Amino acid sequence: MQFQQLIRTLDTFWEQRGCVIVQPYDVEMGAGTFHPATFFGALGKRPSRAAYVQPSRRPTDGRYGQNPLRMQRYYQYQVILKPTPDDVQSLYLESLRACGLKLEDHDLRFVQDDWESPTLGAWGLGWEVWMDSLEVTQFTYFQQVGGIDLDRISCEITYGLERITMFAQGTSDVYKVAYGPKATYGDLHLANERESSAYNFEHADVAFHQELFAKHEQDAKRLLEAKLLLPAYEQLLKCSHTFNMLDARGAVSQSDRPRFVLRIRGLAKRCAELYLEREQTHEKS
Amino acid sequence: MRKAKSARGSGLGARGKNKKTPNSELRTPNKTADLLFEIGTEELPAAYLPGLIEQLSREASSLFQAQHLPVERIESFGTPRRLVLIASALAATQRKPGEEVRGPSKQASYDKAGKPTAALLGFLRSQGGTLGQTKIVKSEKGEYVHLARPPSSTPTAQVLATLLPQLVGRLRAPKTMRWDESGLRFARPIRWLLALYGETPIRCSLGRLTAAPVTWVGGPLNPRSVRVSSPGSYRIMLKRAGVILEQDARRGVIEQEVTRLAQQAGGAVVPETISHGLLEEVTHLVERPVPLAGRFDSAYLSLPREVLLASMAKHQRVFAVESGGNVVPQFAAILEGSPRKPNDVRKVIERILNARLADSLMFWKEDHARLPLLRMAESLSGVGFHEKLGSMAEKSVRLRALAEPLAEAWKLTDEECGHLRKACQLAKADLVSAMVKEFPTLQGVVGKYYAKDSNEPAAVAEAIEEHYLPAPHPGGAGPPRLPRTLIGSALAIVDKYDTLSSYFGLGIMPSGDQDPFGLRRAAQGIVEVAWAIHRALPLDQLWRTRVSMEPFRSAASKDAAGSGHRIHRYLLERLYTFAWPPRPPGPPSAAQTGAGDEPSGRGGEPAPESDCIDAVLASPCDNLIDAMDRIVSLQQLAGHPGLRKAAKVIERTRNILRGAPLRQPQVDPARLAEPPERKLWDVYASNHERVARLAAEQSYGEATTLFGELFFEPLHEFFDRVLVNVPDEPLQQNRLALMQAIHTLYTERIADLSKLTLLQREETP
Repeated sequence: MQFQQLIRTLDTFWEQRGCVIVQPYDVEMGAGTFHPATFFGALGKRPSRAAYVQPSRRPTDGRYGQNPLRMQRYYQYQVILKPTPDDVQSLYLESLRACGLKLEDHDLRFVQDDWESPTLGAWGLGWEVWMDSLEVTQFTYFQQVGGIDLDRISCEITYGLERITMFAQGTSDVYKVAYGPKATYGDLHLANERESSAYNFEHADVAFHQELFAKHEQDAKRLLEAKLLLPAYEQLLKCSHTFNMLDARGAVSQSDRPRFVLRIRGLAKRCAELYLEREQTHEKS
Repeated sequence: MRKAKSARGSGLGARGKNKKTPNSELRTPNKTADLLFEIGTEELPAAYLPGLIEQLSREASSLFQAQHLPVERIESFGTPRRLVLIASALAATQRKPGEEVRGPSKQASYDKAGKPTAALLGFLRSQGGTLGQTKIVKSEKGEYVHLARPPSSTPTAQVLATLLPQLVGRLRAPKTMRWDESGLRFARPIRWLLALYGETPIRCSLGRLTAAPVTWVGGPLNPRSVRVSSPGSYRIMLKRAGVILEQDARRGVIEQEVTRLAQQAGGAVVPETISHGLLEEVTHLVERPVPLAGRFDSAYLSLPREVLLASMAKHQRVFAVESGGNVVPQFAAILEGSPRKPNDVRKVIERILNARLADSLMFWKEDHARLPLLRMAESLSGVGFHEKLGSMAEKSVRLRALAEPLAEAWKLTDEECGHLRKACQLAKADLVSAMVKEFPTLQGVVGKYYAKDSNEPAAVAEAIEEHYLPAPHPGGAGPPRLPRTLIGSALAIVDKYDTLSSYFGLGIMPSGDQDPFGLRRAAQGIVEVAWAIHRALPLDQLWRTRVSMEPFRSAASKDAAGSGHRIHRYLLERLYTFAWPPRPPGPPSAAQTGAGDEPSGRGGEPAPESDCIDAVLASPCDNLIDAMDRIVSLQQLAGHPGLRKAAKVIERTRNILRGAPLRQPQVDPARLAEPPERKLWDVYASNHERVARLAAEQSYGEATTLFGELFFEPLHEFFDRVLVNVPDEPLQQNRLALMQAIHTLYTERIADLSKLTLLQREETP
């Protein structure tokens, strides 16, 4: 199964199970959890089911295209189910089978993962799903988002698309994965991995990013005052990515880190509160 | 408790014709049956399982007891997918003796018309009683309605329906979660309940679940429900499905299998992987263990042992293999269930391990391009220690300064001093390495290798690794790991002292269970390391060096003197939580155990009376290790008459000195008038140097008994026949000065024995 077919298969599988297939969010983010469909979707009582691909940027994970398993930009396939169906674990396994994996051939494990996103003030309990010792999925029952205890528990399933295709194709190198007709994953991404690794680690301007962080943060606060929720949240996303860039450049010291995280978390909390406030007024009217 | 009487006029008494009273029923034999209770879950965290299994039988036992349900044996088991309680020969009938419960006052229970009030009815409802079972009881406080509940017998199956959900509610895990609208909390979602009493299904409910006589096997991949007819058939059925329910049996099988695979590979399982908890973890990661052997690329053997083990154990939970003390490029894995294509599984595990090791090797090479370590240390200015205390580079400078007073107190040779200075400079350098960023737990270890590869002396390299010690014993139980080398011990002490003093200087101190920076552990570590190496810990000299640096030098710490006092005090107070009696100085041997925060395992040793600590701490304690020696000496003298005599002397001199101000510093022998005081003075004059010398030689036991023997009798005679507080002031002052001389001869050197509780015990025979 080619990479693009895998995405289509998952889309179909989850569409048939009541998910809205939303599109990738067009702001840089470290994980699918940051997508508004998950961050806001998990809040409040309103049921919600969504699935989508999200390009995820992890500047520190860049390896100049030399490591077959690590990249500074890759794709997550994210499913968010609220409320959590009782048979969610078997649903997930069924989806892997739909992707052409013969699960009986493999050693599949659910290994404890106390997932936490300090910047989003979010945490949940669940597992890393290991296939033959490689983590292919993160499976989380959300408990808190934006520092707020959730009214209803969502289940978040995050597939590592590259790794799953590697299994399906029996390839050990991500860059050799067949992406689509006459195109490998490497054809489409290797050059970017090399260049972006160089940018993230060597060329990104530290002072410029420090300034960016401050400005995005300032803007997020201003927009929150103006009660412009999504624009404010986008500024938060930009803060988060800028922080990750600074981190890759080695410009975040051990003692700076918690302060950066707290600043972003403060914004996340205010966004979550504003969202719930909206939902409540919406219910009343 | 009244039993038979309370049955009168109530439900039981109304049975009338039934001649068997509840009391006689209590004496008839109670039939029994086995209980099987299974909590089916999604995969529980391996680290939680041992605790949950243990709680399950403990809590069940306490509930059965509270519920008057005799049982012969309680066992509990667990796998990632199930927690199981088996109670053998559990009584078939719950026989509760009668009991009386006090309710509301009579006044509140009946209205003017004599009708029961809402308060009374509410009470009865909550207790499950009836009006007929109540009576009025007079007490000192007034008249109250009592509910006299008759003895009752209830079928166990019925009791279990409410008891089992309570049991689940009592299980605690480090982190719990909700997963559905019921709001039920547990470590991971509970998906089924199986409860059988004998062959009777118990229909208990929990959250949205109701128990059924059904279990699930086949793991998440191939789930099959199976009907269970009895507790006995349950275990047979699980075995048939490949599940090893008993954790001890599972651990045994896994150990045996990985040992076999390692032998086939011509080696043995690396012992640390067994002792460091991997065996325990894997035992709780699978319920159907299946072994699998694999290899990795031997090119990665150039990586240090610790890195290889970390990659294998931490990231992939596979067992490393060694031969002749060297890691060989093979491993033993334990899979869950039997994958249909084990060869494919092996290839993937090998590929991933190779990729991880490739990553590690890349970091290793990248770091080596930045050696020597001294050059790496230059980047420490970019690593923060604390925002008000600057970077790790600044910390390194402080370490070098703090090393000086310690080196002096330890009388280090020039070569050793050189090593210590270098070690201070390099201690933190590996924090900027790519390797430590990838494997934070290898800090110090990586530094050791990089120091060696930078041609630093072995003593420096060892010290870098050791300065993070003490660390808990790798296997969990057992003595902590401590530095073995002199330089490592010194570096461990100055590093912890710097951290402790830095935070105290900023006003950050541990309080209650709040200790986010691990300062209590740091202080405890200083004491343990210094004691193990048994070298002086000169608190005053360390502080004199520390106070000239940040945060004390600038305005960041306004109350430097106060901080110094608090640090000093805090370190000394650690002696109260030290594991007395301490291990003999020196690195612990494997046979010694029990060195937690609490004193433990002292057998026939003298009791670690904390009054000995009180006594020593009331005397000058600049050298903490010397103070510990004095405490040990006093503890060893417990029961010795010499100690009692010495304590008596200290107490009596203290009491008299307390009563009157002393203005005369020295005794004037010419003014000693009475024979007893002259005699006392003679004893002092001809022996005080001996006592002082013994103390200086740290022969504290001998010094104490000598002091007691010398002064006890003459002092007794002196107090019998001489009055100290006479109106003649010069005379009185001279006698007080004599008391002071005797008192301080001991207390300024060893301890204030008036703190010993043996004195109080004597006063109330």
